[in-house]
Amino acid sequence: MEKSLKNDVKPYMNPYLAGFLLGIVLLITFYITGRGLGASGAIKSTVITAIGKITPETVKDNSFFDEYFNGGHSPMKSWLVFEVLGVLLGGFLSGFLSGRLTLKIDKGPHIKNYTRLIFAVAGGLLFGIGSQLGRGCTSGAALSGMAVFSTAGFLTMMAIFGTGYMIAYFFRKLWI
Amino acid sequence: MGPLIPQNIINGDLNFFFALIIGIAFGFILEQAGFSSSRKLAGVFYGYDFVVLKVFFTAGITAATGLFFLKYMGWVNFNFLYINPLYIWSALVGGVIMGFGFILGGFCPGTSLTAAVIGKIDAWFFIFGMFAGIILFGIFYPLFQPLHMGNFLGNPFIYDTLGMSQKWFLFFLIMMAVMAFAVTQIIEDNSKRFKELLYTQKLKTTYPLFFILILALTALFLDENRISYLGETDRSKLMTQLINKNRYLDTEKICYNIVNEQKDLLFVDVRTENEFNDFHLPNAVNIPAYTVLNNSTHNNFVEKNKKTVLYSSGTTKADMVWFFLAREGAENVFVLEGGLNKLFDDVFGNNNFIDTTKMDGLYEKRFFERARTYLKEGKLKKDEDVKTVPPPSDFDVKAVKGGC
Repeated sequence: MEKSLKNDVKPYMNPYLAGFLLGIVLLITFYITGRGLGASGAIKSTVITAIGKITPETVKDNSFFDEYFNGGHSPMKSWLVFEVLGVLLGGFLSGFLSGRLTLKIDKGPHIKNYTRLIFAVAGGLLFGIGSQLGRGCTSGAALSGMAVFSTAGFLTMMAIFGTGYMIAYFFRKLWI
Repeated sequence: MGPLIPQNIINGDLNFFFALIIGIAFGFILEQAGFSSSRKLAGVFYGYDFVVLKVFFTAGITAATGLFFLKYMGWVNFNFLYINPLYIWSALVGGVIMGFGFILGGFCPGTSLTAAVIGKIDAWFFIFGMFAGIILFGIFYPLFQPLHMGNFLGNPFIYDTLGMSQKWFLFFLIMMAVMAFAVTQIIEDNSKRFKELLYTQKLKTTYPLFFILILALTALFLDENRISYLGETDRSKLMTQLINKNRYLDTEKICYNIVNEQKDLLFVDVRTENEFNDFHLPNAVNIPAYTVLNNSTHNNFVEKNKKTVLYSSGTTKADMVWFFLAREGAENVFVLEGGLNKLFDDVFGNNNFIDTTKMDGLYEKRFFERARTYLKEGKLKKDEDVKTVPPPSDFDVKAVKGGC
């Protein structure tokens, strides 16, 4: 399925340089807006908007979905939604410039495509639930939380990676 | 002084524009680093590719070090930053669930977006799963709610939780990161698997790290507890302010303001909570002097476009708080001259000395009569209604809503 030729694909950025630049972006974000980066919040806004449009009666008496009515403006008019639009643009731009625009399924060498896709859905589902409980995902809770020295951020980060390492062995077939 | 938007230093309407620009940079860097590949991401758990750890830790310590120094210089006020609230069990359980999600799905939300947009089909399925997960969370929210909203422990900082100073925590964090980099680099170099994934630009990996390490070492020599920083008022200016007494607003001005219900003054009652509950000026907020002086509360009641009037029974406490704020560089902070005692004397006391044969005197007397009625009614109203009057809405600390 991989269409692009190896010759055209540029190497990835050095991870320490990427981390340094990401840290600077995060710092600027805090300096300008007082808040950090995020991702799952925008997905939540999209979900709430969709549910509110499709089945308004569900939204009414559910204290999670009723944020749909908060402040009288659409949940889509939020900082994270615009930031995530930027992430999509930036990701595309980077992929385009580095010759990585290809339709493809990344997976470990010993599993079938459908196995990978089933587990991707399962992982996404868990991340959806976990990011609501953790009040943010790896970027919003762990990374941004670390930058402002918040206890909650460090706890969530340790829980994510601690769990990852503890269970990695049992799911090794997926990746190696 | 930052952050800029929560303090209205730049127009909040620009916030969405910045969000887009910041998002583009964020997405671009994630994709450049290789976070658009679930196999590279999962490598951190299997020892063949530590890109997650390297990028994540470097970004974290860069931003944390940067914020530490911005705070030290007085260029960023932590009170206006979003500090993640700690609902301890929710944070832990959520983290564990996300850990499972990471291993099974190979992405986290931000990385899945950059992967999806360059055509990774597994990322599309992951995102579909996320939508489903959030919908399920919403539908079964009543079940999750006790966990989600329970055990709220405020917005603590990790160094306070661990009982160490911020600079030492920063130092240990950076040391841990550097050690993690060294160890994982060795593991990665010796790994026989998937060398092709490590197709990375060559760079002296140590450059950004050395820079941060030097900053961290510098941090250790800083005195965190000093109150002075670049934004503070200089000594001679402060002394002039102290001597010339321009900070005092007299009772007439205050009464005029109260009676006409003008909103340009923010009254801050610096007496104790009990005293405040017994009586306070209309629309006043209670910030006891000791909380300000111990710096144990947010000193955010100084607003840019509003005059803040401090008052206590006399002027001692209010003056102390005024001095503290003035030294921090706050402007537009005033003190009620003579305190509540003088106000009561002026309004309720015998003011027959006023010469009512003159027009001015007559007005003055009438004015005080109106003030008397107003204050009395205000007090009566208060006794019947609620004991605690909520602060006016425009007083709210504009800490931004964050989250992911």
